[in-house]
This record gives sequence, structure tokens and C-alpha cells, in this order.
Amino acid sequence: MTAPRGPQPFPGQEKRLRLLAFVRQDSVVRVDKRVEDTAMVWPHLLVIEFIAAMIWSIGLFAIAALFNAPLQDHATFDCTPNPSKAPWYLLNLQELLLHMDKGLAGVVVPTAWLVFMAAIPYIDRERVGVGRWFTNEVGKKCAILAAIFTGVLVPFLIGLDAFIKMDRRVTDPVTGVKTGWPGYAEFASQYFPGGRELIPNYVIPIAVMIALPLLLVWLCKRLFGAGTREWMIAIWTGFVVTFLVLTVVGTSMRGPGMDLYAPWALPATHQCFAPPPGG
Amino acid sequence: MLDIPGQVWQRVKTGPLWRSLFRHGYPDSRKNQSLAVFTNVFLHLHPVKVRRHALAIPYTWCMGGLSFFLFLVLTLTGTLLMFYYRPTTEWAYSDIKDLETVVVFGQLLRNMHRWAAHGMVITVFLHMVRVFYTGSYKPPREFNWVVGTLLFLFTILLSYTGYLLPWDQLALWAVTVGYNIAQATPAIGNEISFLIFGGYQLGPNALLRFYVLHVVALPLATGFLIAIHFWRIRKDGGISGPL
Ligand code: HEM
Repeated sequence: MTAPRGPQPFPGQEKRLRLLAFVRQDSVVRVDKRVEDTAMVWPHLLVIEFIAAMIWSIGLFAIAALFNAPLQDHATFDCTPNPSKAPWYLLNLQELLLHMDKGLAGVVVPTAWLVFMAAIPYIDRERVGVGRWFTNEVGKKCAILAAIFTGVLVPFLIGLDAFIKMDRRVTDPVTGVKTGWPGYAEFASQYFPGGRELIPNYVIPIAVMIALPLLLVWLCKRLFGAGTREWMIAIWTGFVVTFLVLTVVGTSMRGPGMDLYAPWALPATHQCFAPPPGG
Repeated sequence: MLDIPGQVWQRVKTGPLWRSLFRHGYPDSRKNQSLAVFTNVFLHLHPVKVRRHALAIPYTWCMGGLSFFLFLVLTLTGTLLMFYYRPTTEWAYSDIKDLETVVVFGQLLRNMHRWAAHGMVITVFLHMVRVFYTGSYKPPREFNWVVGTLLFLFTILLSYTGYLLPWDQLALWAVTVGYNIAQATPAIGNEISFLIFGGYQLGPNALLRFYVLHVVALPLATGFLIAIHFWRIRKDGGISGPL
């Protein structure tokens, strides 16, 4: 017989118990839980982790063997690619830049969102529904409504912005007078206080970004009687869908000049707008 | 005679070296399975038992674990890349070219690092989405959600700082987009961009700053946050589940 391993108890004290830790009510190893509710980490969890790690290692190897990471020419300031794009996971922000003031889109909005996001658990404190996808039927409905609401409105707003920005003036060949829609910013500079900046780049985008989520929350409350958790689901779904739509549009629908194209008709990037030699 | 290997094995297993390494027998009994988990520094991140529900792949999608896996892969491949890369505008690009053409398995190494980085952004995002929809941020897990928000931010920053390092056209102009955004920060645009990019144009200083952030500051910060994240999961009673 082999001796027991590890530190040995003092003679006569083999059966005594020590208090090692406080186990709180909602801790894993709950006293009031039936044994069937838990599984041993070794082997059950470790097997899953091991297999997942294997599959992903092999998958990553395969991808890395098949596809090379991009490497273009040596960096140079003499040559601006058109369009210049950020990495895809930031193209949502780059897309936002086209529709409002740069500082607002690139700094204020993402910061405000991250702060709001971190605050979510302090706003929605009700514990009911933890561990259930979408909490309940109302939550599910709110998610679906929000996905449709955002999935329709965001592309619509992007399209609208592209449409009203365009200068569609026609010059009268005789008098030389231009008539028609001069493009939104030009129109604003003529008729709105604050010119090209204030209303197009600040007031309207901020109003839209506040009003639409509020409308969504109101709809969820009105239609489905949503509580805090449920309207939070709507807001979150709105964020996820906006993020995805902006990323896709920014990645596959913005061509030279950051103009809007159909994904299948997207022209290749002009790799180099070099100044003419000697010029 | 035939029993010699068996006897040697028995000797090894009862010898002082083996017993100093493993303080329990093969984990085939509940007791040894518990001991295996909590006497091992790596495994003891886990509890000894978990709720069955926490094992369900439709519940966690494994996305938190896979984010961690990719973080480890990135640390490993990134460290190897550091042997071949110099963060100066003279060398950076040619070092990457050498990796692709001269260094044995250099291309594979670079590819793995690159795709794992993209992958991690995706897995972290999906993890965050699943945590939200399962209501797993609710008390007592509020703070872990806050830690998670920071992890999301840091994952993106890690990816973004790495993007500049090859010092090719793609890198330069992608980061220029970020530079222009920093410039547009209300009130402190100039100061912020000077602080981040080390000048009023992307140049050697920006490259060096991004390198240091990418290989030292951000990974350390992220590593610490992951440690806190895991510790909190344990302290908050393991993975969430129906009450
Ligand atoms: C580097 C990034 C991250 C890593 C490595 C990571 C890792 C993990 C792991 C392994 C778990 C265990 C359960 C699971 O796999 O789903 C977990 C749970 C959790 N994570 Fe993360 N995570 C990361 C980012 C985030 C983010 C971005 C958030 C949210 C904003 C977040 C919030 C949480 C919360 C609240 C839990 C507890 C979930 C529960 O009890 O069901 N984590 N994390």
C-alpha cells in the first residue's frame, strides 16, 4: 500500500474538518442543488475545451496555409489610395464619419456608446430572466422589432444622405442661372443658421441618434408592454444591427471618393494617386 | 522479466519526483478529479464542478473560451514575430518581406497572427452578444460586464495598433483614417493626436509608439483584465444560468 499523498494530518486529527471558504448561496456548488445539476470539470468541461482548442488550432493552421496576409507596397505619403479605408472592424465608424461631424462620429458617439454599454447592468438590475435567451416572449418580440426597425431605417438613412447631398442643379444655357437642388450642405449654407456645419453636421445627426432609439423604446413599451430588460434588448439589438449594417456598407459598398456603390459593382481601389513626376 | 517496464513505472510513480509533481492518482475517481483541477495552476481557473447547463454549447457558443484561446495564440505567434521585426521606418517593411520570403515558416507565422487577430475581434463580439442576450450581465455580474466592455475596447485597440506595423500602404492609410479622427476630437484634437501618434504626421514616432502599445502595454493590460474577468466569473458563482 502506498502512503497517502500530499501534506499529512497530525496523528489523531485525520478526520477533522477545516473551514476553507465561505460558499455563498448562489455559488456553484450549491448545497441545495441536486447532484445531477452539476458535472465534474474533469473530464466533462476539459474535454470540450480540449476539442475546441484542437479544432480551432487546425482550422487556423489551414486558413493560414491557404490565405496570405495582405502586404502592399512600402508606405509612402506621395501616393494616396482612393478610397483609404480603416480595418473592417472600424469601417462602421468610418461610415459614420460621412454623415456628421468627424469628431462627433469618431470620438463622441463611440465614447458615449461605450459608457452607456458599461452602464447597462446598473440600469437593468432585475435578476429575473438571467440565463434565458431573450428573457421571455416580450424580449424576443422586442429583438425582432428592433432588428427590422434598425435594419430598414439605417440603410434608408444612408441612402437618403447620399441622395440629398448630390448637387442636381441645371445651368440655364442662356442666362447662366442655376436652378434646382444644390445639394444639402449648399442649401444649408444659404438658408440655415450655422451654415454647412451646425444643422447638417450636428443638429440633425444628434437629433436622429436620440430620437430613433427613443421611438424604438416607446414602440416596445406601447406594443408589447416592455419592461427595462425588454427595452434594453431592443436598444442592444439596434446597436448590433447598426454596427453590422455600417460595417457591411463601409466594407463592400464604398468605392473611390467614398461614393456609394452596389457591392457587386464596387470599383477597385485606385492604389495610387501619385503626383505627376516632377510636378 | 516481462514485468520490468511495469515495475519501473511503479517505481517512478511512487518515487519522490513524481509525487512532488502530482499529489493525486489518475483522475478516475471523483476525489482525484477534484484534486486534478484544484492542485493544477492552469486548471484551477475552473471550479471543480460546473452546472450542467454551463457546458451547453448553444448557451455559451464557447465564444469566451475561444477568445481566450485566440489571445494565447496571438501572444505566442506575436512573440515569435518579435524576433524578426524592427519597429523603424527603415526596417519594418523589409523585415516583413523577409518573413515572407526568407524566414522558414515566416509567412505561415505572419498569416496565423493576422487571421487570429481578425478572429479574436469576431469571437469577442459574438461573446459579448451572447452575454447580453442571455442577461448574464445582471447582478451579481455587473462588474464583469464592465471589465468586458474594456476588453472589447482593448481587443480593437490591439488589432488597430498592430495594423500599422507592416508599414505598407495599407497600414499607413488605414491608420491615417484614425489619425484624422483623433485630430477631430473636440477641443483637444491636436494634443490627443500628438500624444497617440508622436507628431503631426505619421512617421517613425507613430510606428514606435504603436509598436510599444501593441507588444507591451495593451497585451499586459488585456492580460490583467482577462485575469480579473476569470476571477470574477468564479466569484460571481460561475456561468450564469436560469435562477
Ligand atoms: C478578451 C476578451 C474576452 C475573453 C477572453 C473573455 C472570456 C470569457 C470566458 C471564458 C467566459 C466564460 C463563459 C463563456 O465562455 O461564455 C466569460 C464570461 C463572461 N464575459 Fe467575457 N471575455 C471577453 C470579453 C468580454 C466582453 C467584451 C464582455 C461584455 C462586454 C464580457 C462579459 C462577460 C460576462 C458578463 C461573463 C459572465 C457570463 C455568464 O456568467 O454567463 N466578456 N468571458
